[in-house]
Order: sequence, then structure tokens, then C-alpha cells
Amino acid sequence: MNYPVWVVPYLGGSWVIGIMAIIHIFVSHFAVGGGIFIAFTEQLAYSRQDDRIYDYLKRHSLFFLLVTTVIGAVTGPGIWWVIALVSPPGTAFLIQNFTWFWSLEYLAFAAEITTFFVYYYTWNRISKEQHLQLAWLYFGISVSTLIIINGIITFMLTPGNWLTSHNIFEGFFNPTYWPSVLLRLLIMFGLAGMYALITSSRIRDDEAFRTYMLRYSAKWLLPIFFLGPLAGLWYFSNIPQAAIDTIFTGIHASGVGNFSVLARAVYLAMILSGAVIIFAFVGPYLNPKGFSFKAALIFLFFGLMVTGISEWSREMLRKPYVIYGYMYSNGILRDQIENINRIGFLRASKWALASTPTIPEPATMPSATGQGELIFRYQCMSCHTQTGYRSMKRLLLDRDRDAILALLDILHETDPKKNPYIGIMPPLAGTREEMSALADYLATINHPQKRI
Amino acid sequence: MMNLPQPKRLWDWLLERLELGPILYFAQNKEVPVHQYSFWYYMGGIILVLLIGQVLSGMLLMVYYIPEIRSAHASILALNSQIDFGWFVRSLHSWGANLMVLFLFAHLFSTYFMKAYRPPRELTWLSGMLLLGLGFGFGFTGYLLPWDSTSFFATKIGLDITAKVPLIGEPMAYILRGGADISQNTISRFFTIHVMLLPLLLLPVLGLHLWIIQAHGMSEPKQGPTAYPSPEEKYEKFFPTFIFKDFMAWVVVLGALAILVALRPWGVGPEADPFAPAPIGIKPEWYFLSMFQFLKLLPPKIGPLEGELVGILFFGLLGLILALIPFFDTGASESRSKAATGFGIFLLAGLIIFTIWGLFS
Repeated sequence: MNYPVWVVPYLGGSWVIGIMAIIHIFVSHFAVGGGIFIAFTEQLAYSRQDDRIYDYLKRHSLFFLLVTTVIGAVTGPGIWWVIALVSPPGTAFLIQNFTWFWSLEYLAFAAEITTFFVYYYTWNRISKEQHLQLAWLYFGISVSTLIIINGIITFMLTPGNWLTSHNIFEGFFNPTYWPSVLLRLLIMFGLAGMYALITSSRIRDDEAFRTYMLRYSAKWLLPIFFLGPLAGLWYFSNIPQAAIDTIFTGIHASGVGNFSVLARAVYLAMILSGAVIIFAFVGPYLNPKGFSFKAALIFLFFGLMVTGISEWSREMLRKPYVIYGYMYSNGILRDQIENINRIGFLRASKWALASTPTIPEPATMPSATGQGELIFRYQCMSCHTQTGYRSMKRLLLDRDRDAILALLDILHETDPKKNPYIGIMPPLAGTREEMSALADYLATINHPQKRI
Repeated sequence: MMNLPQPKRLWDWLLERLELGPILYFAQNKEVPVHQYSFWYYMGGIILVLLIGQVLSGMLLMVYYIPEIRSAHASILALNSQIDFGWFVRSLHSWGANLMVLFLFAHLFSTYFMKAYRPPRELTWLSGMLLLGLGFGFGFTGYLLPWDSTSFFATKIGLDITAKVPLIGEPMAYILRGGADISQNTISRFFTIHVMLLPLLLLPVLGLHLWIIQAHGMSEPKQGPTAYPSPEEKYEKFFPTFIFKDFMAWVVVLGALAILVALRPWGVGPEADPFAPAPIGIKPEWYFLSMFQFLKLLPPKIGPLEGELVGILFFGLLGLILALIPFFDTGASESRSKAATGFGIFLLAGLIIFTIWGLFS
């Protein structure tokens, strides 16, 4: 409300973030997990003095370098661009409060990239001992990028004691910090194994070594197989009860209703995780000869799907907040609602105020639908679109203006007993007149001819 | 003290009692050809796995489904909204059915273009055609059971078309409906056909189909030695090499099924009202859509005959040619082989074009 709003038609801004972030997750998790894989595998090659493993690693590290630096370099800054446009209040908050952590993250990131370029460049140029040390150096730096960013990401879902103390270290080492580190490390091991299966399946002319590497790569899924459920339980036991309730309400009602998507996403992630484990066992482990490059690609696709769905579910768990219990997904602070309801949303919004000079005097406003559209853009478009994703056109159906206003009255309530949507949507903020203007605008979405 | 078999010896005990030796010998020596079209060998196994899923999910649905005109729709609503994971099982069944038909088509056309129907595999082909027909039967009878508006009118249209078949059409439609109109009798009959009659027919035909495949082995397309990756890798063991790859294919398909179920749970429309007008733009399931679209395009009269009747006779002729193709293209004549391929392309193109046309019309 204090920044310009970016309207992304049909797709919605949240999906632009989602697509960019999920692709980045695929690469960034590989950057860390793959780094661990390279360090351990080079250690293995060094211990056994096996040139075949060295040759494999050299090819694998080129693949690793290309994937992590090219795709990572595009999507990493891409995320910053997109979140700054879609959610400027949330982005500003994170930058202002975690300034030093971001700085450390950038340093670690620069060191990570540099180290890996040096690592790849020095193949066969320095001694095996020195090269191995570089591998372990990369391992340490890449894990440190996880250690730092994890504190900021988990803070957004579980700010914990920060909500009362505003101590940034309490926010950083929040209740899900450690379970999330463990869970992400396990996912990274798994993804590293899956990416390694791609390169291992390309080994030619040495069937025994190919079999060895396929089985070795498949074993990287064992940690998440054994420890994943425990880490998941640890993680879920530390997230807000309201978020857990959202999952469980979907168990019997997932066939109908709009609130079930999170539950279905969680089930899907669990089913596909099982599929990935079975696939790893019957494929590369039991039948390495029959495990082709195409099969490895399909396998990776499933693994990435599980990762993407899990990340998406984690984002959904945070609804209706961008920072749980503090800032709603539309950028309004929870503590601001009462004041906004008293003085009006448009009056309280610096940018809206600046961009619409007629708004300060409600009696003289030329267009109620114009105000309504502005309120819609600021309060609803962080999650909804007019005609596309979570479309208002579909959600409003045949409701007329009065029926829409009645619904908005419910959404305006902050008491969960009066507003059943409170756990998944921010309460609408503004005066009764503003709700009326919003209803005027929403009524035009399915009935454009009524537009004033 | 009784002389019970020890666990260690149980396997040998079973081998001896059940005389599994020859079967084991067969399994150990069974081989699968390796060539550039080997991918299509997975279709049959995938259909079998989906069929098992249909049986299991169907049994669970029967626990809650009530085949009674006033309760059928309510029982589906309850499954979708009140019974824990009821929506999941129902969506598995509905999406599973659609995937199964999709893979039936893939299996049909892949075996067709690989000329796997040629002697001595005529009966494999005919039993496969019969299984496809039974699959359509499952789809048609199961579609009515939720008793919602779309299923009611789609079934009505389907039975009206059936009634146009010369001589047997009207009595057949009457028997299926259990009267002149769709009613409680229709639900009872469709339910019985869906859960009893068709499974009883399916089991022996499926058994025959699988047995003939084992007897003749997997058909190899006559593409010459270049079709194989290398001469020494012309065959691979069914156990364990192929079966593990088969298993991976099943995991992939079941994963795809889970994605469909979770992202697009199968809904249910408003309860059927026989006195209400048919919903605008009503369409049958996608696998009947090509025929439906074709019939829609025909004029009311073609010469002295009704347009729909001509259409039905045309479909009948196509089906007959398809069924009898092994006796036409035996592999002895190059020209006949090309003609059969041309017919297959014509059929596949028609199926795809009219289905897409139907979807967007």
C-alpha cells in the first residue's frame, strides 16, 4: 500500500515468484547437495586412487558448473526482481531486518561461485591433494549459504519469539531453523544423487564402472528415505497449529472446497516421495543395466516435482501471512488493521494517496469502482487475479453487488468465529464505504456492462 | 507332532506341491526382444497395473456407493465430502479409468503398427479387441452411476445412438435401460453389468490374451538388424531385466495418476433430473468423443437412411476391418501390408482429429 502495485494479468504475481523460486530451488539445492556429492566422491577417488572416478567427476563437475552458474545466475537475481515488484513491503522488511545476514549470504555466494570455477579450472593442473582440498572448501562454503538463507526463509513461517522481542537473532534461530536445515540437507543429498544418476547413466564402454556409479548415486537417496520422515515430523511439530489445521481439514473434504489444495499438495508430495524411493530401488540399484539416460531424466523429473510441491506447500502453510503473525500476504501489518478500519485504507496508504489525489475526500470521489479497483489491487491481487489464477470471476460466480458486499462484510471481520476465512485470507481492511466501493468494483468483473 | 514344512524349505515344498518347476523354467528363460520400438512393450503391463488399481478402488467405492435412484448421487457426494479419503479413492478410480483407456489405445495402435497381429497371433489380436470393447463397456456403464446431470444425459444420448443399430439396437437399448426411459432399473442394470458381468467376462478373455502372449512370445517388428542397438543385445531376460524396467514404468504411471488425482480431484455435478433439459454443449467421455463428433456432422438423412444410422454402420465397418486385419495382412504380401498400415493411419488420424474437434466444438 506504500509502494506501486505490479499487476500481472491472468497468472498473478504470486505465480511469477513461484515459478522463478521453484526453478531456483532446483538449482540452488543441487549447488549445495552436488557440492557435498563432489567432495565425498573425490575423497573416494583419492582413497582408492581410481582414475575412472576422477574422469567421471571431471565430466560431472562440468555439468554441475553449467547448471548451477547459468540457471542459478538467471533465477537468483530474478527472484529479487520479482519479489521486489510483487511484494515490496515484505522484501523491504527482510532487507532492513536481516541486512547483515544478507551481506554474509552474498559474500558466501560470491566465494561459492569463485571456488567452483577454480575447482573446475584446476582439474589436472594442481596436485590431487590440493584439488581435494578445493572440493572440501566448496563443500563448506556451499553449506554455509544454506545455513544463512535458511534462517531468513524459516523466519517467515515461524518468527517465534521475535514477534515480542524483535531480537533479530531470535528471529534467525527460530523454531523451525534446525529441523529445516536437516530437512533441506536431506533433500539436497537426494537431489545430488538424482543429478548424479543423469551423469552416471551416460558412462559408456565400462559396464562394471557404470553399474558401480549408478548404485553409488542411488545410495544418496538413502538418508532422506530413513531420516526424511523423522525430520519432517520434527519440522511439522514446530510450525503454527493453525497451519497444521489447514492440512487436516482437507483430509475428508479434498474432493470439494477451495481450502483443500494444501492438503492435496502434501499428499502428492508424500506419494511421489514414495514413488521416487521405489524407483531408485528397482531402477539404478537393482537393475543398473536397464537404467537408461531417459529413465534418469524421468526420475529427476519426479524428484524435482516432489521438491517443487514441498516448497510450494511450505509457502502455502504461511498463508495468510508473508511473515507469520506479523505481516499479511498483501503487505498490511496485522497490528495496522484496526487503525486502517478507522481511518480508511486509502487514507492510510501513502502510494495510493499520492497516485489518486481525489481520494482524500470520499464525498467528492468521482468513481466508487475506481476506489474499489485500487483496493482490489492492493489487498487482493497478491493472491487473486480477475480472470486467471484464483480468479475472482470464478469465485464470485453469479453473486450480485449486494451478495458480494455481504461476503466482504464477512471477510472484513477479524474474529475467527465470524470470519471462517481468517486462517487462509487476511481480513479486509478499510471503512464500510471502502468495502462498498470494493463490492461495486467486484460486481463489474462478471458484469462489465454495469461499470460506471 | 505334525510334520509341518519349515520356513526354509517352504519354497521347495510349494514347488513340489504346485508343480511350479515348468513355470519357473519358462520364466527363467523368457526373453524380450530389444529394439528401437521396445518402449511400446510396456503398454500391456501398464494396463494390467491400472486394471488392478481399478479393481481395488472399485471395491472400496462399493462399500459406500448406493445403486438406488434417490441415494446414488448423495452417496457420491458423501464420498467426495464426508468420508475420509473418499474423494481420493473415487478420483483414483475415475482418473485410473481414463488413463487405462488411453493406454489401451496406445497398446492397440502400437501393436497394430508393429504388425503384431500377424499369424500366429490372430487370437491375441482378437482377444485384445474384445478387451478394448470390454474397457469401453466399463467406461459407459460406470459413467452413469454417479447419477449427476452430465452422466444422465450422456448415457441417454449413448443409448439413443445404440438404439439406432439395425435389428438389435432397439431391443438392446430397451434391455439396458430396463424400460422405455432411464430409471432405477437402468442404475441397477448398469451397476450389475459394471461390477459383475463385465469383470466375469474380462477374466477369461484377459487370461486367454496373456496365455497366448506367453505361448508365442513377444512379437518382433520386421525392421532388420539395424533396429537393434547391437547384434549381441538382441534379447534381454524378462526376469529380472525387463520386469524391473516394467516396474519403473508402473511407478511413473502411478505417479502420473497421483498427480492427476491430487491436482484435479474428480468432481460431481448436480443431481440428475430426467425432466430437465439437457445441459448445453453436453459431451460424452473423451474416448467416445470422436464418434460423437462425427455423428454430429452427419445430415439428418443420407439417401433413404437416417444420417446417424449411416454413421453407426460406418463405425461398425471400421471395427470389423480392424478386427479382421490379421486375416488380410498375413505378412505374405507387401501391398496388403502397406494397405493395412494406411488403414491404421487413417483410423488414428480420424480418432485424433475428431476427438480434438469434439473437445473444442
